[in-house]
Amino acid sequence: MAAQSGAKRHTFWEILQRIDRRWIYLVVWLVVMVPLIKPFPVKPVASPPVQQMFNYIDTMPEDKALLISVDYSPDTQAELHPMTIALLRHAFATRRRVGLVATYVYGLGLAEDALREVKREFDSVATSHEDSIISGEDFVFWGWTTPLLTMMLGMGEKITNVFPVDYYGARTESLPMTRHVKNYNDVGILVSIAGSSMPISWVAYAQTQFGLRIGCGTTAVSAADFYTYLNSGQFTGMLAGMRGAAEYEELVREKMAQMDMNWHVRNRGTEAMSSQTAAHIAIILFIIVGNIGYFATRRRKS
Amino acid sequence: MKRKLPLLIVLVTGIFGVLTYIIPHPVVQTTDSVIRNDILRIIGAFSLVLGIGSILRHHFIKIKRKSENWGYSWITVVALFVSAVIGLFGGIDPTRPGILPTHIGGFSFHIQSLFTGLIVPLGSTMFALLAFFMASASYRAFRARNFEATLLLISAFILMLGAMPLTRLLVKELPSFAEWILAVPNTAAKRGIGFGISLGILATSLKIILGIERGWLGGGE
Amino acid sequence: MALTCIVALLFCTLAPPGDVAARDVPNDEGGKIVVTWTRSPDPSVVSYRVLRQAEGAAEWDTLGIAGRLASRYFDEEAPNGTRYRYKVVAEADTLHGESETSGYAQAAPQWFNTGRIPTMIGAAIIFLIFLYTFERARRGAKMFIRRIAGLDAVEEALGRATEMGRPTLYVPGLSSIDDVATIASLNILGEVAKKTAKFGTPLIVPNRDPIVYTVAREVVKESYAAVGRPDAFNPDSVFYVTDQQFAYAAAVDGIMLREKPATNFLIGMFWAESLILAETGAISGAVQIAGTDAVSQLPFFITACDYTLIGEELYAASAYISREPLRLGAIKGQDYNKLVILALMLGGTLLALAANIRITDVL
Repeated sequence: MAAQSGAKRHTFWEILQRIDRRWIYLVVWLVVMVPLIKPFPVKPVASPPVQQMFNYIDTMPEDKALLISVDYSPDTQAELHPMTIALLRHAFATRRRVGLVATYVYGLGLAEDALREVKREFDSVATSHEDSIISGEDFVFWGWTTPLLTMMLGMGEKITNVFPVDYYGARTESLPMTRHVKNYNDVGILVSIAGSSMPISWVAYAQTQFGLRIGCGTTAVSAADFYTYLNSGQFTGMLAGMRGAAEYEELVREKMAQMDMNWHVRNRGTEAMSSQTAAHIAIILFIIVGNIGYFATRRRKS
Repeated sequence: MKRKLPLLIVLVTGIFGVLTYIIPHPVVQTTDSVIRNDILRIIGAFSLVLGIGSILRHHFIKIKRKSENWGYSWITVVALFVSAVIGLFGGIDPTRPGILPTHIGGFSFHIQSLFTGLIVPLGSTMFALLAFFMASASYRAFRARNFEATLLLISAFILMLGAMPLTRLLVKELPSFAEWILAVPNTAAKRGIGFGISLGILATSLKIILGIERGWLGGGE
Repeated sequence: MALTCIVALLFCTLAPPGDVAARDVPNDEGGKIVVTWTRSPDPSVVSYRVLRQAEGAAEWDTLGIAGRLASRYFDEEAPNGTRYRYKVVAEADTLHGESETSGYAQAAPQWFNTGRIPTMIGAAIIFLIFLYTFERARRGAKMFIRRIAGLDAVEEALGRATEMGRPTLYVPGLSSIDDVATIASLNILGEVAKKTAKFGTPLIVPNRDPIVYTVAREVVKESYAAVGRPDAFNPDSVFYVTDQQFAYAAAVDGIMLREKPATNFLIGMFWAESLILAETGAISGAVQIAGTDAVSQLPFFITACDYTLIGEELYAASAYISREPLRLGAIKGQDYNKLVILALMLGGTLLALAANIRITDVL
């Protein structure tokens, strides 16, 4: 590659400056893959926005439901799906009612997958009907509808008008949970988990017009965009990227341990932390090497 | 007329949009709801038909002309038809089968299995490319060329170090300093840009409603 | 408090909630009455049951239950024009305490939302400033607009594509038509298409949203017609790809690597795919002009593209390229409005500071 062809004429730093980007790809691949296969222990410590969301959900009135809006597609699944799972786990462990919607069609499969996984975890240790997680009683998965604006505004008035049947085809009017969760007045917080600007749409419509409390789960790339909303109090907490997911998982793990719910679950966000840490270190090293090379070659030229 | 009619529709619906914000009366709100729910849904459905027509035409032309890589066009066309047929008639998953038999032995090809087996890994792969591109872009372009670039570099360093749980053990204050950078200087800059963007949006909307901006009509008079 | 409890126990009742009042919910589309009360002083209250009686009816119906901390309830099933009165009953197990009956109230829709007057005043000021600058522009006033390098480069970039005999790629963002950034992008597409029509450079416009696709197609077609080259318009140049974010990114990356466009425009709304598109474009060796109001994507575009329109520059672009006076007037209007906002912010900050500083501190 370019590195070899330039070796006769250029210094070491110049070669580094012109290195073929595929070498960089290879290093990134290695630093991500190796810790995934052989992870080193990393204990996530909750940052203030994560702690804020956890505390709110943990202490909100028992009759208020948690709404999760699955606003992401499979592309961002690795970063965002652990958040949905951790939130569901937290809600079911503290016996909060949960409502789920998807604003993209692709979110349907993901929401269903998260529900299935967490339901299975709880059902596998359940000893009675009360301990089990029941669709329509403990949670309702309303599914997806269009247009978006109609859904966001309509749910503030009456959820069953927007979703006459749930994702599984059951009539929502007849579901036991509908007696308790009729519109946004019965919702403690809505957490919009998204790789896009969907949480802002929820703020613009559901919060501005109905006073609904909004939390946000987002990719690390988009997180910087949302701090404005966090500072202004429009978001009650934020989970940013894989790290945010891992921190929430850790808080839920501690909470469940306190409640003697010590069964084994997979915390995918935490599992990926060592990989992410290694990748961060690699990128920092890339930047350092790149800059040393830049200054070395600049001095030589001058 | 071809130009005046769209401009008139835009003017009327633009003014109506403002009215819906200040008039809560059902006469206005119901009309708004009909426009947003029913009319937009119908337009959306028809445009989707046009969109599918477009993708088919685009690829059939490629196949017909045997353009470069025309074989891939066949894959697109076949995938489009197969997933449409499975989606419409093949059922959601093995517990909710459709009218078509959509499994061979243990191998299921319901819409849910297409989703988990194809869309999920393909989408994740594309997103994962970001890590590689970010590394190569930071290596190539992240240089302390001048004062501003150096400042940017230092903040990026602090943020990346702050994001690592390991650094919390080494320098306790680093994560909160990283959080501060995001919450204060970053937010301040974003708000500044945000004001400009909001005014830009207002100006563009106003130009369109008043018929000053006609770029969307192809420009001209 | 102790006395209240003893009295309550003696009579098997709770202290009732007081001051029950009902009134039409203001600024709404009708059909709602709000019932308010002061909470019972009794600490054992668990919930409040809200009862309703229509005028002329004999029975009281239960409307719903409110929590012990609640002091209001929205009756959302009150037909407009029907008069109702309400009672609120404090409850705890078998005990209860019934309030006095409220006066009659009826729901009615309103024609004006008074809660939005401040917003309307703000909007009116902004609107008037824009009208003023439009009028000045119409009268031919000279307006200074600072140079925007990314837009100055458009002509040069298209010229390069023509010289190299390669196409130009225009990505109108990934959002839908209700996103103003998409509309701004389509406005710029109109100007770019006019230039590609003049130069005879092939133009490729892949779309993610079917409605945006139909509009983009019309824009390009009309632009070709506007410069007298309707024959040069290739209907296959504007096409729909998919609404899936990363499948779309993959398709556009494919076009960049196979067709090797000499110039890439990435203008509109972008999310996490921004760097995937921009970096692939950089690999293919194209001159890239990006523009977005998605602030978090700007660093990626700045890193990987040759020119980037930042935030509001995106909205100024079509005016800048076309140099049409009225459109330029809008840019000036934006600047004046920004001055007003800055003055308000400064004034607000000074007032807030003044409120927190004691005169003795200053002395």
